[in-house]
Amino acid sequence: MSSQRLPDELRRRIESDLDPVRPLPPAWRRALVVAAVAVAAFAVMVTFFRLRPDLHQLPMWLTWGCALLQLAVGVLLAGLALRESVPGAGVSTGVVLAALGLGLAVQLLVGLATWMWSGQPAAGELGAGVKCMRSDLALAVPIFVVALWLVFRALPLRAPVAGALGGTGAALASDAASHMRCPMSDPQHLLVWHTGAVLVMAAVGWLIGWAWNRLRWRRVPS
Amino acid sequence: MAPAQQQPPTSKASDDHRLVELMTGYQQGRVEDFSLLYEALAQPLQRYLWTFVRNTSVAEDLLQETFLQIHRARRTYTPPRPVKPWVYAISRHVALMYLRSQRRRKESLPDDELPEVPVPPEIASFADRATLYRLLDALGGHGRDELTLHHLMGFSFEEVGHIVGCAPGTAKVRAHRALKALREMVNRERQGEDP
Repeated sequence: MSSQRLPDELRRRIESDLDPVRPLPPAWRRALVVAAVAVAAFAVMVTFFRLRPDLHQLPMWLTWGCALLQLAVGVLLAGLALRESVPGAGVSTGVVLAALGLGLAVQLLVGLATWMWSGQPAAGELGAGVKCMRSDLALAVPIFVVALWLVFRALPLRAPVAGALGGTGAALASDAASHMRCPMSDPQHLLVWHTGAVLVMAAVGWLIGWAWNRLRWRRVPS
Repeated sequence: MAPAQQQPPTSKASDDHRLVELMTGYQQGRVEDFSLLYEALAQPLQRYLWTFVRNTSVAEDLLQETFLQIHRARRTYTPPRPVKPWVYAISRHVALMYLRSQRRRKESLPDDELPEVPVPPEIASFADRATLYRLLDALGGHGRDELTLHHLMGFSFEEVGHIVGCAPGTAKVRAHRALKALREMVNRERQGEDP
């Protein structure tokens, strides 16, 4: 084994870029930034755009309550992505799977509860579905971008996992606004298009994480 | 089962505290603190990297790469968290990325001389150092990392969990299973040698 002395070449490289740095704030504080963006996006959508026509016929817990639940779980998932982005502080695979399962379960249960309460028959209009998914994805993008920016400013060692958590969280927070606006409650529409948007964002997050991982670690000596 | 290099709690705590101070000074831009951090961590880190690549010169290259990655990511360390799990998690990832690139190239490295890692008593009772490292390879990914970090490097299961990215209980179970598998492999080899 070699000596423990700092090699001159490494010392030179370190000294050439040794500006003082401020440690990253803890994950929960960084998650507040994501929460602010998600709440702002939700507030804009429910303030300036038309809400669902049956809003006043549905109970408050099913409309505002479920939307806030989706927002909260979305921010929680983004927070886990931020925690995953710090080496040696990541969450275990079991927690990641449980968190992704929770996100999906909340999405499905909110959709099913809305359908059971409103009793709307299955419609399955393709055009409306595509429009809803597009709207979900468009609203998720700013939340997703902020979450991933915060994730990749750190050093996620399992970048695809962090990306999938961030993507799922952003989509869930975005769907909170759709829940308040989308007039369709049939299960086919909710499961295919709204839950589909969550799955798409999770996959996109995974892929971006995978690509980032390849780029970030391409210079490891081989 | 006690880790191999377990130190008295006060000594370990004061070492950890010193590393936190050095890391904080390094984050504030003091190269002397980085130098001391390197001196404190380089040798055990190189041994750890060797357990992945089994080649001293490659382990040295990966050690330099680990410290460069530490430098790039130094703001992600948050005092007063323990420094070692943060450093070893980065080091492990550097080694895994290297092994992945080697697999893509389908290259293999010649075995090297064995590092001076003490063999813990719970393993020394049934295998010598050469057998241990040979059979660790045969274990593959099934708990090898957890066994190495706990039994050979002396980390607690909580620290192993942070480094590997699993719960401490999971790390304990994996290390225990790996140790059991190792013992069974040694027994099988001995039975094979018997006339």
